[in-house]
Amino acid sequence: MHVISMQAPEIAVTVRAGQFVNLGWSPGPLLRRPFSVYRVVGDDIEVVLKAVGTGTTQLLAMEVGDRISCLGPLGRGFDLPRAGSVVLVSGGLGVAPMPLAAREAHGAGLRVTWVHGARTAAELCSESDGEEVVWATDDGSRGVRGTAVVAAPDGDVVLACGPNRMLAAVAERWPDAQVAVETHMGCGTGVCLGCAVPLKRGGYDRACTEGPVYRAAAVDWDSLPSHLPYAVSA
Amino acid sequence: MTPDMSVDVGGLKLRGPVLAASGTFGYGTEVPLLERRALAGMVSKGIFLRARAGTAPPRITETPSGMLNAIGLQGPGVEALIRDYAPQWADWDFPVFVNINGESAAEYGELTARLDGVPGVAGFEINISCPNVEQGGMFFGNDPHAAAAVTDAVRRRTKLPVWVKLTPMVSDIGIIARAAESAGADALCAINTFVGMSMDLNAYRPRLSFRTGGLSGPAIRPLAVHLAHQAARAVRIPVIGIGGITRTEDALEFLVAGCSAVQVGTATFVDPNAIAEVHDGIASFLETRGFASLADLPRYLPRD
Repeated sequence: MHVISMQAPEIAVTVRAGQFVNLGWSPGPLLRRPFSVYRVVGDDIEVVLKAVGTGTTQLLAMEVGDRISCLGPLGRGFDLPRAGSVVLVSGGLGVAPMPLAAREAHGAGLRVTWVHGARTAAELCSESDGEEVVWATDDGSRGVRGTAVVAAPDGDVVLACGPNRMLAAVAERWPDAQVAVETHMGCGTGVCLGCAVPLKRGGYDRACTEGPVYRAAAVDWDSLPSHLPYAVSA
Repeated sequence: MTPDMSVDVGGLKLRGPVLAASGTFGYGTEVPLLERRALAGMVSKGIFLRARAGTAPPRITETPSGMLNAIGLQGPGVEALIRDYAPQWADWDFPVFVNINGESAAEYGELTARLDGVPGVAGFEINISCPNVEQGGMFFGNDPHAAAAVTDAVRRRTKLPVWVKLTPMVSDIGIIARAAESAGADALCAINTFVGMSMDLNAYRPRLSFRTGGLSGPAIRPLAVHLAHQAARAVRIPVIGIGGITRTEDALEFLVAGCSAVQVGTATFVDPNAIAEVHDGIASFLETRGFASLADLPRYLPRD
């Protein structure tokens, strides 16, 4: 897992946890790629990524001083409670919105429990921020053996991000949890309707505009693809 | 001197040659950042009489220099469009065309009758070329009799400009172009997306839930320039070129190929200000080449 940082002062001052930026670079793919904002440090924002294909390899090959086109902040982020405790539950790259969520929660005087899971210890995000930190790995190589959802304690508010399969499990355990979903995205601005999220009440709305954060029970998890074929042959 | 960028599309005067293509600009209220001074007009997301949920995800996938989409004409239906969007359009300084859809010629006619005279609706773009619906759509666009019947059904119910958006999925676009012209179209829009398919090698099935999708983006541009040119050669009414326009030079190719104006679509997804950049680029090109107006740009349009 890699963190890249970019200077984006306007976004840095307004972005909320769970919101994303849509990044374009040259020579990149045709469409921008959405990334949750991971952290804000002064004028800089950070995103996390894994080298999964040509695009992410290009991003990771960038040098300090290279320019990237950054559209955002986009979407609707997490809503934090006024008091009490929050439990941040993430799997794999789903850790992306959590440092910002922890910072906002601490700013609001909330107690933070950080629960992060991955397949193996090597795939865990090494950073954490919370009064209580719980690790989970599928193979038991670090922390609890099993998923972050199983390992997590209850809290006043649960915020979750990870593969859609994991978020479906979140919805089973905490229907009121706020979950940030993963979809394919075209524009990020609400016009292409490509990032459709199927809703329990019927119909679809847009992850980029009404989401990407949803009440867990509002999403029709059976109709949301759990496997996103992201690889681009371009 | 700033060149005169205005164009005449079948009697309708536009302040520039670059419009926003249907399905890439929502209802005009969503796209941030665009410098609207450059926008000659927009075509709304396709609408039916009734609300439509659209197709199940995944709806889009990227392909080399392009994208496949199968949105399925998701929309709120005509009454919501009239209530929520048309009142805003009425205040704008560029015309808004409504992209209209139906499962029969009669439905297109009914939709036109409902929208004709609604403040904010400047004209109609008949969609007989959507590849992503089970009924209607592209079916009407690859049969000259059906294309003419739909155009006629709309033409009879409005005096506003009527444009017909053509599909590339035909053996001779000129035949459909002439059918639409004969039935009273004021202009043609060429072209809609190509039908394409992409396979997910992990799931061993199509990447899109609809199986196929419409291919757009730079990948289709040379194909689109050719088809727009073929359409322009086949008719006397204006042709608006569409297909993969991303940069100024792309738009100029369509104009030189005989188009009166262009629509920019997929490029807006990537750069919300793409339309303004293309508009300004055309103005610079004309100025650099010493043309006082866009009308002076040489066109390659031999008549058979």
